[in-house]
Amino acid sequence: MTTPAQEFLRAAAQESADIPRRKAIRHAVDQYDAAVQHGRQQFLDYEGARQKCYEIKWEALNHLDEYLVEFEKNVNARGGHVFWADTAEDARGYIAALATQRGVRTVVKSKSMVTEEIHLTAALEKLGMRVFETDLGEFIVQLRNEPPFHIVTPAMHLTRADIAKLFREKLADAMSSGASSEEPPELVAAARRALRQAFFSAEMGITGANFLIADAGMIAITTNEGNDRLGTAVPRIHVAIAGIEKVVPRLEDLAMLWPVLATAGTGQTIACYNSLIGGPRASGEIDGPEEFHVVLLDNGRTNLLADAEQRDVLHCIRCGSCLNACPVFRTVGGHAYGTTYSGPIGSVLTPHLRGLNEFQHLSYASSLCGACTSACPVKIDLHHHLLHNRRNAVNDADRPWSERAGFKLWKWAMQSARRFAFVGSVGRAAVRGLHRLGLAGTFLDPLRTWTKFRAAPPIPRKSFRAMWRENGSR
Amino acid sequence: MAVVENPGRERVLARIRSALKKPAPRHVCPPSAGPVFAAIPDTLERFQTECVTNSTELILVPDARRAADALGMVIASVTPGEIYSQDAPLLRWMLGGLQTGRAVRWSNGGPPSESSQAAITTAECLVAATGSILIASSAAGRGASVVAPAHIVVASEAQIETDLAAALRRARERKLLEQNSALFLITGSSRTADIEKILVLGAHGPRRVVLILARNLG
Repeated sequence: MTTPAQEFLRAAAQESADIPRRKAIRHAVDQYDAAVQHGRQQFLDYEGARQKCYEIKWEALNHLDEYLVEFEKNVNARGGHVFWADTAEDARGYIAALATQRGVRTVVKSKSMVTEEIHLTAALEKLGMRVFETDLGEFIVQLRNEPPFHIVTPAMHLTRADIAKLFREKLADAMSSGASSEEPPELVAAARRALRQAFFSAEMGITGANFLIADAGMIAITTNEGNDRLGTAVPRIHVAIAGIEKVVPRLEDLAMLWPVLATAGTGQTIACYNSLIGGPRASGEIDGPEEFHVVLLDNGRTNLLADAEQRDVLHCIRCGSCLNACPVFRTVGGHAYGTTYSGPIGSVLTPHLRGLNEFQHLSYASSLCGACTSACPVKIDLHHHLLHNRRNAVNDADRPWSERAGFKLWKWAMQSARRFAFVGSVGRAAVRGLHRLGLAGTFLDPLRTWTKFRAAPPIPRKSFRAMWRENGSR
Repeated sequence: MAVVENPGRERVLARIRSALKKPAPRHVCPPSAGPVFAAIPDTLERFQTECVTNSTELILVPDARRAADALGMVIASVTPGEIYSQDAPLLRWMLGGLQTGRAVRWSNGGPPSESSQAAITTAECLVAATGSILIASSAAGRGASVVAPAHIVVASEAQIETDLAAALRRARERKLLEQNSALFLITGSSRTADIEKILVLGAHGPRRVVLILARNLG
């Protein structure tokens, strides 16, 4: 059986050799970079905005119990239900039981990374329900049986030709009016036609939440397409699911968070639809669901909360800007990671959510250039957390015996000039000997991973110290 | 399912409380001297600029009578078919004086149907900094602003708030949180750039958002 680390190396090699795909990613990221320059123009002081967002999230996370209880109380007061889920299984179980009891046959989903994390769609489909992703990018990758490629831009890796081909195969009815077209407006119209039927037949709408507003008892959802709006207006049950870290203290915090999320996420001044939902249809209202449920998910988040050094990882507002900035993500893409959350935030977060031992390799999927940290709108110290995870892996996880032995030897040698000279001369002689015997690059060669893609420089006969002794200061 | 067994609640809260016993470092930056957002000297001008950027069609009129005329023209420009309208005295008066030749469904008769070609609503307030329209579920409903291909909003200049902070403050002061199950901030027409980052309007919601803005609706 291959380990996640082996699978990552295999997938990364394959994806980075896929030139058309890399071109698609590059195009998307270039467009994003240009838009962000525009979005930032609304700020006189973008650094000040980042700091304010950091402080809002710091306050929320460091009083998390109080704000969650306040949120729950306010949701209950308006007739909504709040369910606290320890694990992915608990969350799936609650939603599946609710859907079954209410006779739900069709579900429309708005974009939500948490539902990807808990594999909700598969669980509902197993019960015989039809589940439609309604964000266009998510709908496209659902039709391809793929996970989203990117937190914000799920179909970033596909061209219009790929999508037109997919729609002709899977959405023949909706495509009939423009069967040969590959133009994006035609494709969007086809998806709209197909999904309208789903919206008006669904009994349940499932959404994520960008923020949980404690003092208002409302969830905030941001989209551009308006799919969340239809999914929370038409079906008779609305279920929102969010990680416990999504809570923020006050309604007024959104005056900073909404513009920053939009700028960091897509380069907009503000997204098209920012909705606040606090309950089921109130008396006197003409539409809206009869039931409103909020599922608060832990699923490993409290472990991360307990790590005070990395608690700020929970500040993440899932804007995707660290993915766009990351040279590793830009090269290998989102699928190679094999995790729900990809890119720098995924590399930091996944070892906490799914185990340091199996996912420690992601801490090395970084050049430590710090572009992610600079891009993060809530000032998460991402690249230092990758280093923290490396350190934690050395202390707590399985590392190869050869690595442990190598570093022990290195530490021993570094503590005295005499030992350093001795180990250096033995090492030089050994490697020179191996290379002379034609064993360079074999499993015996300690430099083999380094020289796999690089020419090995000739190993000098003498050390620098020896040459210095011979030549003096001349 | 009104009362649900939820043993997870106490467990999650206990884990949070135990985790928070250890304080997290807090990165304090020197407070910046100036404001985060640029000042807005003229709210109407800024609102107009933002509407151009986000593709809201803005029609400026002096009074309610001209607003009604503008509404007639906008209705004439949408696809033939039923019009849905929020049941508000102002909109009743405006539509009552128009010969549109269209069937009008009022919100007191239920939610909009899929065949509605345009939906007419009022707004709670407008936001100059972002060119946004705030609407409330108890007045305009949840579906009206997204089901039809065109959303027509009638508002007055007095409803313009400078920025999001002012709009949210106003929402709290006017008890909109208590009186509505949902509030919606709408900025331009429904859109997507999920295919090759190419902007397409009219993804799931309206392709057109038309705002008839009167200097005085009195």
